[in-house]
Amino acid sequence: MAADNLVAARGAQARPDWPALARRAWRRRFTGQSMLLAFLVVVSAPIVLPYFWMVVIAFTARTGGVASDVLWTACAVIAPAVLIYSIVHMSVPAPRLRLAAGLVLLAIAGALLAALIGERLHLDNFRFLTRANFVEEIRSKATSGAQFPSVWNAFFNSLLLAVSQTVIILTVSSLAGYYISRFAFRGRSVFLQGMLVLHAFPAMTLIIPIFLMLHWIGLLDTIVGVMLVLAAIELPFYVFVMKGFFDGVPWDIEMSAMTDGATRRQAFRLVVLPQVRFGLIAVAVFAFIRAWEEYIFVRTFLIENKNWVMSLYLFWVSDDVMGVDYGIVAAVAVFYVLPSFLLYVFCQKYLTQMTIGGIKG
Amino acid sequence: MPVFARAQLRRQRINFALFLGPALVLLFLFFVAPIVIDLFLAFTDMGRTLAVGKFTLENFERMFTRDTRLLGALGVTFIFVLATLGIFNVTFALLLALVTTAVPPRLGAFFRAVWLLPRMSPSVVYALLWLWVADPNERGLLNQIVMHVFDMPPIDLRNNHPLLVIILANGFIGASLGMLIFTSAIRSIPEHLFHAARVDGAGSLAIVRYITLPALRWPISYMTIHQTLSLLVSFEYILLITGGGPFYDTTVFSLYAYRRAFESGEYAYGAALSLILVVIGVLAALALWRLMDMKQLLQQPRIEVH
Repeated sequence: MAADNLVAARGAQARPDWPALARRAWRRRFTGQSMLLAFLVVVSAPIVLPYFWMVVIAFTARTGGVASDVLWTACAVIAPAVLIYSIVHMSVPAPRLRLAAGLVLLAIAGALLAALIGERLHLDNFRFLTRANFVEEIRSKATSGAQFPSVWNAFFNSLLLAVSQTVIILTVSSLAGYYISRFAFRGRSVFLQGMLVLHAFPAMTLIIPIFLMLHWIGLLDTIVGVMLVLAAIELPFYVFVMKGFFDGVPWDIEMSAMTDGATRRQAFRLVVLPQVRFGLIAVAVFAFIRAWEEYIFVRTFLIENKNWVMSLYLFWVSDDVMGVDYGIVAAVAVFYVLPSFLLYVFCQKYLTQMTIGGIKG
Repeated sequence: MPVFARAQLRRQRINFALFLGPALVLLFLFFVAPIVIDLFLAFTDMGRTLAVGKFTLENFERMFTRDTRLLGALGVTFIFVLATLGIFNVTFALLLALVTTAVPPRLGAFFRAVWLLPRMSPSVVYALLWLWVADPNERGLLNQIVMHVFDMPPIDLRNNHPLLVIILANGFIGASLGMLIFTSAIRSIPEHLFHAARVDGAGSLAIVRYITLPALRWPISYMTIHQTLSLLVSFEYILLITGGGPFYDTTVFSLYAYRRAFESGEYAYGAALSLILVVIGVLAALALWRLMDMKQLLQQPRIEVH
């Protein structure tokens, strides 16, 4: 009432037109947000487009050429669909309606794609999965360089490397992270500071001495050697990540477990570890992806082709047949990127929880 | 010594070995030992045979007086690090963090995920994408756009502007780490500061200038040192995309050391070159220390029962 009187006292001329102001504010906010989104779309296009191009090559290219018209046709269908959906998303508040609109658009885009480029798609480029000697088939036997092992050989080598490295890192970093998070011991601060230096220290500079060390102890050109090296050089980072997760577990839980008669080790295994399971998942996913993508160290430490991992396999395939057949290189690349891509998409929410050391605020 | 105290001491030692032992062994074997070996190798004449003949200062003499190619490598490194850092790893990362936190949270998260894609995909695949983008013939993605949209002759990015290619390729990956760190720093700014500024009539740019940027001072200096260091030593994408070429045009210092050791077989000289990087690495790591929250990190643990 008081406000009304006040407004009335100031006269009709000074009374602000609230709905108009609200409309103006909304309009300004809408344009601002749209401009920001447009900026993001424009700068992200150079990232998305090459990945899309790779997929298009993998499913359409034949020996001797690529089908660039397929790429642009697909873009011409998908880009408007995404644009329309984002407009719908921003202007329709009801989630049900949004979902329905999305499904309709998806169906239309899918039908258009099937009609326009459906018959251009084929799986021929994925023949490397069953035929080990595809390189000889593409190039004549005389010109082909290295004898290629089967892709599954490289795939299982990669899997072995990534899984075992992940297991080592998980075990060692959760043990060490727990210890430096909860135990007081002599030299603790020296140890922590040393780890911090090692964490920031670029291990890439040590590739020459590590190469010689592996040669001297006889682990050069073995998966075990690469596995140990990769686990060690990434370890300081993961120890700090795990320490962060253990720091977040309230110590009362542990205390009450020990009051109930658990030993320290039992408390660690049965009470604290289950509390940091999201941290363990994050570390595992991250370590797996890192080992799966490793190139420089495997390139330097693995020589014989029976020890090739996927990155070396892809590198040598592209080195050998890139000039002649883009399709098969792209297909190998898609096959190689798929596991880490799926892991990344499905485990993203765990990965974002990692923090390290706490930067001064 | 009473029996109880002795048993406790024993338990402490066993716990130490059990929890910290594996980490210590791995770190000493593959991290500390290589540093020592590098220090020792740099003063030898190890060549292709992997045998040590004599101890000598020849490597350093060669480095400072005779190696004419080294100066070029240093110049390339300087341009590469400065441009990548200045344009992408700090500036563009900051821009991305500011913009993705200003749009609705789920869209922001989506675009951050897109920018993380290059970091998460295998380096060989990422390099292949660049080869397909910069392909000098009409099949290259860039040339498809250049030729059909702008009606210009095809360009050969990798041969004519190799430095630009490696700066862009590293920058698109480098921006994502800064983006993540800055985003979480922006998120941790108390919300009421923004509201207060709004009430006082500040516009969006003023809020960024007077509230967000001051809060990002520490993360920005941390990222600058961290990324300088990692750009100085990383040559993975350069090796994959241009191979250091054409000729030595994109051979940065770290790649130069690698090529000397593994292409020419001059292991001792390569070790001497990387010794310089090791020294820079330690110095930068010490500088980073200053920026970490030491008090929180070294906080004493609360339970001391073993």
